[in-house]
Amino acid sequence: MSPIDTYALPRRNFLATLAAAGSAWAAPACWAQNSAADASGRLVVVFLRGAYDGLSALVPHGDSNYYALRPSIAIAAPDGNGLAAIRLDSTFGLHPALAPLMPLWQQGVLGVIPAAGSPDPTRSHFDAQHHWETGLPGHGGAANGWMNTLASLRTNAPAADGKAHAIALGVGEANPQILSGGAPVQLVPRGQAATRQGALGDSRTRDAVMQLYAGQDRLSQAFRAGADSRMQTAQTLNADMADPAMASKEMLAANNGAGSAQGLLLDAQHLGTLMRQDRRLRLGFLSAGGWDTHANQGSATGTLANNLGNLAATLTQLRRDFSQSGDVVVVCSEFGRTSAENGTRGTDHGHGNALWIMGNQVQGGRWHGNWTGLAPGNLHEGRDLPVHHDFRAVFAQILRRTQGLGNAELDRLFPGFSWDSSLDRLLQG
Amino acid sequence: MPQQNPIALPRRHAMHRMACWLAWAAGTTSKAWAQTDNPLDTQAAIPQQVNAQLAEQWRALSRLGYGASAALVADIQSAPNARAWALRQLDTAHNASQSAPALTAELQDINAPLPEIFEGAQRERQARASIKAGTDLVGKGAASEGMHQRLDFSTSPETQNFNRTMVEKTAVWRLQACSQSELENPLLARMTEFWFNHLNVYIGKGPVRPFVGHYLIHVARAHALGTFENLLLASARHPAMLHYLDQAQSVAEGTRGAQGNTRGLNENYARELMELHTLGVDGGYSQTDVRELAKVLTGWTVGPTSSDGFRFVMRWHEGGSKRVMGHVYPDGFFGRGEAEGVQAIRMLARHPSTAHRLSLRLAQFFVADTPSPELVQRLSQSFIDNKGDIKRWMQTLIESEEFWDASNRLFKTPMDFACSALTATQGAQDRKNLLLTLGFLNNAGQPLHGWQTPDGYKTDAATWLAPEALTRRADYALQLARHSEDVDFLQPYFSLATLQTVAAQRAGLRNGLLLASPDFMYK
Repeated sequence: MSPIDTYALPRRNFLATLAAAGSAWAAPACWAQNSAADASGRLVVVFLRGAYDGLSALVPHGDSNYYALRPSIAIAAPDGNGLAAIRLDSTFGLHPALAPLMPLWQQGVLGVIPAAGSPDPTRSHFDAQHHWETGLPGHGGAANGWMNTLASLRTNAPAADGKAHAIALGVGEANPQILSGGAPVQLVPRGQAATRQGALGDSRTRDAVMQLYAGQDRLSQAFRAGADSRMQTAQTLNADMADPAMASKEMLAANNGAGSAQGLLLDAQHLGTLMRQDRRLRLGFLSAGGWDTHANQGSATGTLANNLGNLAATLTQLRRDFSQSGDVVVVCSEFGRTSAENGTRGTDHGHGNALWIMGNQVQGGRWHGNWTGLAPGNLHEGRDLPVHHDFRAVFAQILRRTQGLGNAELDRLFPGFSWDSSLDRLLQG
Repeated sequence: MPQQNPIALPRRHAMHRMACWLAWAAGTTSKAWAQTDNPLDTQAAIPQQVNAQLAEQWRALSRLGYGASAALVADIQSAPNARAWALRQLDTAHNASQSAPALTAELQDINAPLPEIFEGAQRERQARASIKAGTDLVGKGAASEGMHQRLDFSTSPETQNFNRTMVEKTAVWRLQACSQSELENPLLARMTEFWFNHLNVYIGKGPVRPFVGHYLIHVARAHALGTFENLLLASARHPAMLHYLDQAQSVAEGTRGAQGNTRGLNENYARELMELHTLGVDGGYSQTDVRELAKVLTGWTVGPTSSDGFRFVMRWHEGGSKRVMGHVYPDGFFGRGEAEGVQAIRMLARHPSTAHRLSLRLAQFFVADTPSPELVQRLSQSFIDNKGDIKRWMQTLIESEEFWDASNRLFKTPMDFACSALTATQGAQDRKNLLLTLGFLNNAGQPLHGWQTPDGYKTDAATWLAPEALTRRADYALQLARHSEDVDFLQPYFSLATLQTVAAQRAGLRNGLLLASPDFMYK
């Protein structure tokens, strides 16, 4: 709750959430022993804003309730037809637009948790995103983003000029909450704009502008950081494009600068290039809106299918740049959507959702955690997938194993969360 | 920095500048306007506004409008003081909101009667359906597409590009309205922005696109200083909002659609109406209330042939008794129908949680990112006492000490920055400048009418004071000022440090540097 709120209104379930989290550290012994794990991994978070429909991406074709709940938008059960789900096992299938992900699934580097999310039951996009990005479910007040806190735990040694070099990179948003905080962050705009130096490319103009921003105030510091980052980013991306092996990549982008699911692919290319060229960058963040499908979301084809197709291309692209041992890519959304379709062939705001993770250490080619199906008695408030696994517990597993984070560090990122030992086999090692 | 003699700057408008310098020199207290506990600004070495009167002028021009032009500076300096000018603006803006906007002939389409806009959209659909699939014309036309070559309305638009042309004309109107005080009162443009953002619709959602201009004019602008209830109802019944949050399709459970398929409820509008437009997420409603409100609103849809674009369809309306936040909408002939929705919307508009939420947003928009609880409380009380009369509420704001308190700083959003740069340079008549501005707004993360979600753009420094986005401002300012008239009239409002730096540069760069300076980033 914001400090200036003068209304003492009940904050839904906030206290309940805190109370539940109070039992926090049930950390198993094995978890304490492995703290010397490989700490060189890189983490990329792809956040689908607007709550994507996981029940279309990871199709529970083995559950007849699914077809009863979604008479017009369900994805058909696997039958080999190109418009039906692609069989993963007797429980789940993949949306046909996600077909490009099948090789990754078969190689065992792509896995999924079908019912993950935030323990806070809000159905507000904006509250839920805030909770995810600050790592504080139920807490609406000002806080740093958890990826920024993570960056501060893994700061690079200062360079010769005394400036700390960013280890976190954000593409596509001016100032995403998840990266906000005291640690330096490199931010890159969406689409082709990232490759342009603009007026600051002229050194005399740049000198004059920099003189205006020579001060030590926050604005001046931010400006200088932006100018440095811009020159460096544009150089790196342009050099990369000049490489014939990379030149065609820029042509793949469907939609430049729109902040859409389509633009995500180009942003992913830029993120991959920048993090490949600068190994000090170890945390990446990408996001795209356009996933809020209240009406006419389509099924095997249509709006959502188009977005999923772009997501598949994005993940395939990211796999090229993030395939080293400790690299992990996570795809998530603020909450899931209703299990049943609504009256307008779409879905409304729900709760639990499928969360994807990709990487060499991921025990892929299978799903993890608890799945209780779509029978009426098993749904959250009779309508949504429950959250069987707290997103913080998922990230804790990843960070523990690929970044070597210890208990105290994890507790700084996600104060009061509980270790979820049912996910202990999510990653190897 | 110690007071020094004004530095030598290019000689133009000498008398005006001398008057300004005198005013500046008269302020000997040299008080930085950055005494604040805002962590962003604790070290602010920037604008040293030495004269309280000039500081108030800057604040009034930048917050109750989009900054200074030579004409507006003359206007505010002719008033007894900035506060008197601000109160006078309130009357002027209110009067202006009651008459039609000063649209140039080529932009009149956005204000056409709604049935004509529906027809244009319908013709576009037919034209596109008849174009062979796979032809490049189909499927183009996202918010930004086309903007970079266009804005030339001299030939009548192709039928299949009706929507895109409406989007572009709407964008041109916004930029003209925010920067040309002879076309639109600056405070009215500001209030229109505030309400549009509060009741956001998104130009990228297909059916919404041709209606956004009309929505701006007939919802946000027309009710900008009227009552919130009427504003909210106008928004609820407008095709742009009915399409944007899918209300147009929400019907009673089990209704048969045109193709014989069964249709039903869509919660989207009902939820955002409570979460964002009125009560706020902690405003005291539950999921059950969302569902019940959605039922109350079934049957509210677009009316392509009606003059207000709205239609209530009784057979789509959910029967039976409903209960929203303790208010019962009983079953039976008299309880049912369109009136239920009107009652519910009025109830939400009058709710104390709504008064609080709106007052917080108003104070954040006009005063500070974190306004004092006392101010929010006072605004909230004013809203309740005056039954949501926006003009009176604004008067409470303008008469508050907090509005004028120099420690309450506000950082410009990209939209503020673009409009104030266009205002200073009077550049909005040049099509190239408009294209440049639209490109800047896209790159800076605030495309015009381009926010996808119903929460609207954020307005705080935490969002916009971001490294990469700041350098985009410098690019834009330097390009925009390249061929503009001099903006020397801004100098009295700027710090000595900035003026010294600028004066040392070659003449061709000075206008751009003034607009790219730290001083020009704050409002």
